[in-house]
Amino acid sequence: MTGEKKIEKWNRISGFILLIIGVMTAWGSTSLSMGKFKHPGPGFLPFGLGICLIILSLILIFKSWKKEISPTPLWFQRTWLRPLLGVAILIFYAIVIEQLGFILTTFIFLLIWMALIERLKWKTILSISVGTTIVLYLIFAFFLEVPLPKGFLKLG
Amino acid sequence: MSDLLGMFQGLMNGFGIAFTLNNLMFALLGAFLGTIVGILPGLGPAATISLLLPLSFKIGSPVTSIIMMAGIFYGAMYGGSTTSILVNIPGEAASVVTCIDGYQMALKGRAGPALGISAIGSFIAGTLGVIGLTFVAPPLAEFALKFGPPEYFSLTILGLLMATLLGGTSILKGLIMIVLGLLLGSVGLDPISGAIRFTWGFFMLQEGVDFVTLAMGLFGIGEILYNLEKELKTELVTKKISHLWPTLKDWGESKWAIVRGSFIGFFIGILPGGGAVISSLVSYAVEKKVSKHPEEFGKGAIQGVAGPESANNSAASASFIPLLTLGIPGNAAIAMIFAALLIQGVQPGPFLITERPDVFWGVVASMYVGNAMLLVLNLPMVGMWVQLLRVPYAILAPIIVLFCCIGVYSVRNTVFDIWVMGIFGVIGYLFRKFGFEPGPMILAFVLGPLLERSLRQALLISAGSPWIFFNRPISGSLMGVLLLFILFQIFITLRKKWSKRS
Repeated sequence: MTGEKKIEKWNRISGFILLIIGVMTAWGSTSLSMGKFKHPGPGFLPFGLGICLIILSLILIFKSWKKEISPTPLWFQRTWLRPLLGVAILIFYAIVIEQLGFILTTFIFLLIWMALIERLKWKTILSISVGTTIVLYLIFAFFLEVPLPKGFLKLG
Repeated sequence: MSDLLGMFQGLMNGFGIAFTLNNLMFALLGAFLGTIVGILPGLGPAATISLLLPLSFKIGSPVTSIIMMAGIFYGAMYGGSTTSILVNIPGEAASVVTCIDGYQMALKGRAGPALGISAIGSFIAGTLGVIGLTFVAPPLAEFALKFGPPEYFSLTILGLLMATLLGGTSILKGLIMIVLGLLLGSVGLDPISGAIRFTWGFFMLQEGVDFVTLAMGLFGIGEILYNLEKELKTELVTKKISHLWPTLKDWGESKWAIVRGSFIGFFIGILPGGGAVISSLVSYAVEKKVSKHPEEFGKGAIQGVAGPESANNSAASASFIPLLTLGIPGNAAIAMIFAALLIQGVQPGPFLITERPDVFWGVVASMYVGNAMLLVLNLPMVGMWVQLLRVPYAILAPIIVLFCCIGVYSVRNTVFDIWVMGIFGVIGYLFRKFGFEPGPMILAFVLGPLLERSLRQALLISAGSPWIFFNRPISGSLMGVLLLFILFQIFITLRKKWSKRS
C-alpha cells in the first residue's frame, strides 16, 4: 500500500471534462423527442441524466477548489511511459494484424512488448514469444475454432 | 411443504447436470482459473470473466459456461488469501484485510496454519452460502413474480445507489460513474420507440455499445495499463509451508470467526451493491470488536484471517441470489456473468427457475461441487500455486492484452472492435488514475435498459405521476429503504464533520 493519495485537486480536470459531456448530452437529447411525464420519449432519460451529470460535476469542481496545496502528482517521473508504450503496441497490433496475419503479428507484439516495456533478456524474450504464440494459436485456432486473420503469408 | 420438496427435486436434477463429465471438467477449469487469478495480483475475477465472454459461445451450453464463470468468481476468493499471506499484496480485492494479520502470521513462521484456516474457512463459508442460496432463491423468485415496472425501477435505483454507498471511496465519483454507465447504455436504438440516440453518425454504434468490448477495455486493458506503472514485485516471506492443518488451538480460536464471517458475508452478499470486498472488511471489524484480545489484531491474530476469508466466500455465493432471482447483478464480476447469460440467450430474472431450471439448479449444484474441488486445490496443492507467484507480471501482461485482442476480434471478426476496446482501455486507465472506480459504471451499463424501460412503462401506467413509485407496497418499501440509507449516510458524514471540529 502506497499510503493515501491526494488527488482531489485533479478532480477539477475530470470535473470539467464531465461537465462538457453533461452539457453535450443534455443539449443532444433536446433534438430527440423528450415526451411528457405522461408519455416519456426517447430523449427523456438521457436529458435527465445529462442534467444529473452537470450537477454532479459542478459539485466535484466546487469541492476540488480549496483542497490540497501540493497534491500527489498523477505521474511520478516517467511512470507514464510504460502505459503509453503499451497503448502504442496495442495500436500497432490493430493496424497490422490483417496484413501480417495472426501468427506473425502476435510474435512481433510479444517481442516488442517484452523488449521495450520490460527489458527482459533476449533469450527469455525469444523463447517466451515463440512459446506463447504457439500456445495461443493452438487455443484459438484449433480448440476454439476462431477464424484468425491469415495475412499475406497465408499462414494458419 | 411441496415447495421444499420441489427444491429438493430441483437440486437433485441439478446434481445430475453438474455431475456430467463435461460440466465437471468445466467446473474444475473454473475453479482452477479462479484460484490462479485470485493468486495473481493485478488480475481480478471481473477482468478474467470479461476475457472469457467472447468465448462463452464456444464453450458450450449456457449451463456449462456459467458453471465455469461462477467457478472463476468464487475460486478467486480462495486464491486471494494466498498472496495476501505470503507476499503482503492482496491477490484479489476481497483479500485486502487478510494482509494485515495473515502476513504477520507468515512472518512468525505460521504461514501454514494461516493458509490452512483460510482454505477451510472458505470452504465452510462457501458451502453455507450455497445452502443459503438453495433455500432463499426459489421463494424470492416467486415473490419477485409480483414485481411490475415501478418495483423494478425502485429496485434498480436502490441497487445502483447502494453500489456507490457501499462500494468505492467517494460517493460522488460513484454517482458520476453510474450516470456515465447509464448514458453509455442508452447509445443506439431506443428500445421503445426505435429512435436512434447518440451514435454521432457511426453506423456501428446503432446496435449500442457492445458489452464485451466495453468490459474487456475497461477491466482487461485498463487494469493492465494501470498496473504497468507499478512494479508488482512478488517476494515470498517463506518458501517452506508446513503444518497446513490447523491445530486444535487454532481451530478453537477461529471456528466462531468462521461462523460469524459466513453469516456476515451472506447477508452483505445478498444486498445489491454489496459483495465480497465489503463483507471482508465488516467481518474484520466485527472480529476485532468481539475478541477478548483485540490488541493481538495486526500482530497475527488467526481470527483476523479466518473471519474475512470466510466472509468473502459466503458473500460470493450469496451474490448469485439477486442475479438469479431478480436479474439484478450486485457487483462487477456478477455483471459479467449476467452478460454471459444474455449472450447465451438466457434472461436472468424471476422466471429463470421455472423456465430454465437446468441453468439455475445446474449452476447451484455445481457450486457445491466447485467448493469441494477448491478445498482440494487450495489445501494439499497450495505449494504448487505458490510457484505461480514466480511468473512475473512482465510476461503475464502482454499475454492478457493479446487474449483481449483476439477475444474481442473473434466476436464479429472486425479490427474495428479492437480499436474500440483500446479506446475503452485508455478510458479505463484514466478513470483509475483520477480515482474513479469502473465497477459501478459497468453495473449501470448493464442495468440501464431495464431502468429506462421500467421508468417509462411505470410513468405510462400512472399517467405521469411519480407517486407510483411510493404508493405501491413493494416499490414503496424499497424506496423507504433507499431513503433510510441516504439519511444514514448523511448522518455519518455530518458526525464526521462534527467530530473533526471538536
